[in-house]
Amino acid sequence: MRRLIVLLLALLASNAVPGVASAQRIEPPPGSLTGPTFGPAPDSSLPPSVPSGPGMPELIVDLSQPRVSITSAFQGESLLLFGMFDPPGEIVVVVQGPPARETVLRKERFLGLWLNTGRMRFDDVPAYYFIAASAPLQRLLARASGSEILSLEDRLASIRPVRPRSPARLAEFRQGLVEVKRREDLYPANFGHVTVQAGRLFRAELPFPSRLPEGVYDVRTYLLREGKIVAAVSRPLPVGKVGFSAQLAGWSVEEGPLYGAGAIVMALVLGWLGGAVLRRL
Amino acid sequence: MEIYLPIAEQSMNVFVLFALGAAAGLLAGMFGVGGGFLATPLLIFVGIPPAVAVASQANQVVANSVSSLQVQWRRGNVDLRMGLVLLLGGMIGSSAGVTLFTWLKAIGQIDFVIAVLYVILLSSIGSLMLFESVRTWFKRRRNPTAPRGKLHTHYLVHRLPWKMRFYKSKLYISAFLPITLGFLIGILSAILGVGGGFVLVPAMIYLLGMPTTVVIGTSNFQILFVAANVVFLQAATNGTVDVVLALLLILGGVVGAPIGSRIAARLPGVVLRALMGVLVLAVATELLFELLRTPASPYSLGPREVLP
Repeated sequence: MRRLIVLLLALLASNAVPGVASAQRIEPPPGSLTGPTFGPAPDSSLPPSVPSGPGMPELIVDLSQPRVSITSAFQGESLLLFGMFDPPGEIVVVVQGPPARETVLRKERFLGLWLNTGRMRFDDVPAYYFIAASAPLQRLLARASGSEILSLEDRLASIRPVRPRSPARLAEFRQGLVEVKRREDLYPANFGHVTVQAGRLFRAELPFPSRLPEGVYDVRTYLLREGKIVAAVSRPLPVGKVGFSAQLAGWSVEEGPLYGAGAIVMALVLGWLGGAVLRRL
Repeated sequence: MEIYLPIAEQSMNVFVLFALGAAAGLLAGMFGVGGGFLATPLLIFVGIPPAVAVASQANQVVANSVSSLQVQWRRGNVDLRMGLVLLLGGMIGSSAGVTLFTWLKAIGQIDFVIAVLYVILLSSIGSLMLFESVRTWFKRRRNPTAPRGKLHTHYLVHRLPWKMRFYKSKLYISAFLPITLGFLIGILSAILGVGGGFVLVPAMIYLLGMPTTVVIGTSNFQILFVAANVVFLQAATNGTVDVVLALLLILGGVVGAPIGSRIAARLPGVVLRALMGVLVLAVATELLFELLRTPASPYSLGPREVLP
């Protein structure tokens, strides 16, 4: 019975897959991508959002790319954030990945073998967290007490486990979470530098590793004067697979059985051809 | 050259993956068993998530076994009746295996179970093969014209009910035996991403008493369909089949297999089995070492859940 289903789906897939696959190979040039997996994307033709109001100092921010496109050649990427502000002041940039529920697992030695024995689930964990500033961050944050700018430690202090746990255990697992995220460069350990030129132009590199979760990231730029936020600009930054990668990942999620049948057909055809061709060599 | 794997969600070196596929193909060509038992642990070592490694490797097994089956079928080395009975067990086993896999993944123990199963399987099979080939080697030296024994010996298992005649294998045994064997191999196939040839072939020879001529072809037949079932179910339930990864492994395997069979043609069977035994033991030792060694960090992350 199962074989019948497999065969049936394989037949379907052999009709459906080749046409779509070849059409998807053509990848649009970066910068003008309209990826199918994205949520609302910012319109790059419009000027970047600037909080307008009488008496507010000017802060203009833009990114070198409107989105991070995960193509089949993606190996991580560095985006340039740049802009202009009304001096004086300091600039702080906070980039946050979309929040999700993460499960932290801990290995312990059991009968001499290491296996996962502890686990804790956290809600509202940012997929990615990066801060860059034009002056030592500790100093800026200390003066900006009670502000909305949070260091990674402060940001993570607000995440809650799904089930209540003892504070000691909570701290350990929270530390473990940071450890893993650091290892994957999703919580870069060093603060980034915002370089200020001519007193009013600024730029910062935003590093994104190759194992980057998808979603709409939030890039926030703040202008601080004497520890107070006097202007802020928020820009959504969609991160997603595009082109062939996006198609494949999409099929895998939405059309699991069809995708599996397609994979089987691919293996059968290649195995058959490979066997037939190479035996004659 | 790096390529982004859409399901594993990371970039990997194309040549590393191609070489892994070629190594698996080489083994398949040399020993007549799929190289999955070596390729899956190596994929995990290079950083592919175990769930993706297992499911994508199963896809390579499909390609690998269809190549070999092509030859075996033409030579008439497939006992179709036996193959279908094995397959009956195999389909049930692999479906149960994928369910078990999904559950183990959910409770965060899949990596551990994969490693432990590999250590147990590989160390026992490796030492058996090594022991057997060394013994044969010495026996043959002492007595080069040893008389041929009985076709096969009769054990308790031959007294089980529901007996079936397998003409091509010259066997009259209970169908329970191949069904159970197929079932167990199906579970292994689903959890470890292997075809299971390295377990199935010795079991068919020593346990069922099948003649060696039909063993490879018949096991290939069963493995092809069981692996296809695993790929289908893994894709449908877990979404862990990475076709880009599988494609590279398959292409490597296509190149590696004929080289392996050419090597095999030049080496005597005993030496081949001893080599295989050493290799299998080496992989088992490495895996055991990984389990015993204190990890750099005891923490890891389970699957991310994006809440609505």
